[in-house]
Amino acid sequence: MKTYILVANDPGVGGLVEQAATWGQPVVAVVVGSKDLTQVAACPGVDEVIWLGDPGNHGIEAFASSVAAIVADDPGVVLAGRRPSERVFLGTVAASIMAPIITGVQSVSFNNETVVIKHGIYGGIAVATTQFEGPIAMQIDGGAPVVGGGTAVIETRSATPTTITVTSLTPPEVASVDLDTASRVVGVGRGLKRSEDLGLVEALATRLNAEIGCSRPLSEGLDWLPRDRYIGVSGAHIAPDLYIMIGISGQLQHVSGCRASKVIVSINNDKDALVTQDSDYILTGDLYALVPALSAALEKS
Amino acid sequence: MRIVVAYQWACDPQEALVSSDGKIDFSRAKPTISDYDAVAIEMGCHLAEATGAELIGISAGGEAVATAIATKAALARGLHEVFVVSDPGLDSAGTLATAVTLKAAIDNLGDVGLLLTGDSSLDSGSKTLVAVLAGLLGWPCVTDVMKVTMDGDSLTIERTIPEGIQGLHLHGPVLVGVTSDAVKAKVPGMKDVLSAGKKPARVVSLLDLGVRLPGEGEILSVEKMAGPSRQQIRINTEDPAQAAAELVSALRAAGALDA
Ligand SMILES: Cc1cc2nc3c(=O)[nH]c(=O)nc-3n(C[C@H](O)[C@H](O)[C@H](O)COP(=O)(O)OP(=O)(O)OC[C@H]3O[C@@H](n4cnc5c(N)ncnc54)[C@H](O)[C@@H]3O)c2cc1C
Repeated sequence: MKTYILVANDPGVGGLVEQAATWGQPVVAVVVGSKDLTQVAACPGVDEVIWLGDPGNHGIEAFASSVAAIVADDPGVVLAGRRPSERVFLGTVAASIMAPIITGVQSVSFNNETVVIKHGIYGGIAVATTQFEGPIAMQIDGGAPVVGGGTAVIETRSATPTTITVTSLTPPEVASVDLDTASRVVGVGRGLKRSEDLGLVEALATRLNAEIGCSRPLSEGLDWLPRDRYIGVSGAHIAPDLYIMIGISGQLQHVSGCRASKVIVSINNDKDALVTQDSDYILTGDLYALVPALSAALEKS
Repeated sequence: MRIVVAYQWACDPQEALVSSDGKIDFSRAKPTISDYDAVAIEMGCHLAEATGAELIGISAGGEAVATAIATKAALARGLHEVFVVSDPGLDSAGTLATAVTLKAAIDNLGDVGLLLTGDSSLDSGSKTLVAVLAGLLGWPCVTDVMKVTMDGDSLTIERTIPEGIQGLHLHGPVLVGVTSDAVKAKVPGMKDVLSAGKKPARVVSLLDLGVRLPGEGEILSVEKMAGPSRQQIRINTEDPAQAAAELVSALRAAGALDA
């Protein structure tokens, strides 16, 4: 079976290429995006690149059925990342080949046409090992951008985009971040009383040279931080050397997005908060005292 | 024209207990209309009011989804009627089987110009259903949508993507995944709950719709999710400055502050 990697106008598919390369099956990247993007998608680990063209002022999703038609010609294992248009590609392809669609993938093994996948279920409270026969669609963290340098043949195919027209794009007021690849992250939750107090967290992040992340309520609901900064099942999946959780209770939906962190520190005024079970270092106390103290200690050292 | 909202009646996994042998116990949990879908229903209400369209809720699930508690909870949020596919086989349905079922429901209704649903599923956290359903229907699909306006089959949509806020124009029928903060879902009042009892709720089985569920693999085992075990070292915080200094040296020793 071939492995397909769906590329939706973003080179951040390094994680998928890395996974696919370990399976020893032919890897095909199906690309919607600029010509340059096809060049970088032709990276080591990819055997063939199929280019469906530049989206121009079409919405990326307008190409979903054309992507599906390519895979439906010769169904196989289909991989895509977690960005909005990647999810639409993956779902549309899965429907066209009637493949089950699996999220929260932890590991994959092959035995001829049988695929055995370990994957999180119910938002990551448990892990199932499931065996599938035949084609399958998997959502996997996209990882770092690929940079080309491979030997794949690039083949151009014509696409028939549906009518989704982009009429405007307002860039976000603040630049977007990719927390998934940050090496240090400071995360803040509802323990923070006012948005004005974010300054405390920013000061600490600056000292640590860290990115700021948060729990979901702070970006969806309170609107204190942009949506790409929340961590968890439905948000960013981070894997930094250090993650400091400030005023975050540690619900599983949050923690399943940061389990891959090397070292986790929690600052929480509840000594029994759930987060303590997932912490390497536990500081029980008021964040308003402990966070400035930590910034000061870092400045000194 | 009909506006359809696909909603989920499910338990929040936060309420589930997972034992060390991987058994998942939802008996403590109470099912609800997913918060995500409640937002989609609210948006559907605004659009139905503005366009005069019929507003129909559809849902697929096990026996629970067909109970009066479930259908009334959905209707109390402002849907004009609900069409529910209930079958024991749907209790363990994954995304593909659920989508196949919902497609049959939509085909059965006919005249659908817009389908709205919450971006994420409540119980699995997966954000893929709307796209699979789009693939089955052969309709375009956009997610992360904040705002929709409709003029006949012409739709203007605003949505958030990593690059910013994108304006889109498209023609129905389309599927729209709504962000959880697109509009504020009202909590149904006493009057809404009472009127819900008088609205039509149709319940059908898979057999009625002629649906055969696709295979979705064979589960070999389930384990409790175990993160890497953590050291759980408690640092005395009586003196914040000293606690901070102690943490900094521990982190330095662990290599977490390098580079
Ligand atoms: C399907 C689904 C998906 C979800 N996805 C996500 C997701 O991806 N990411 C996510 O984060 N959430 C997600 N959630 C929400 C999640 O369940 C929690 O509600 C959320 O993570 C809680 O955020 P919090 O820890 O900031 O707030 P709270 O749970 O309210 O915790 C605040 C913490 O701050 C502490 N505190 C208060 N004051 C102080 C102080 N002065 N000093 C120190 N500590 C203090 C408290 O002790 C408490 O532990 C999801 C929920 C569902 C149902």
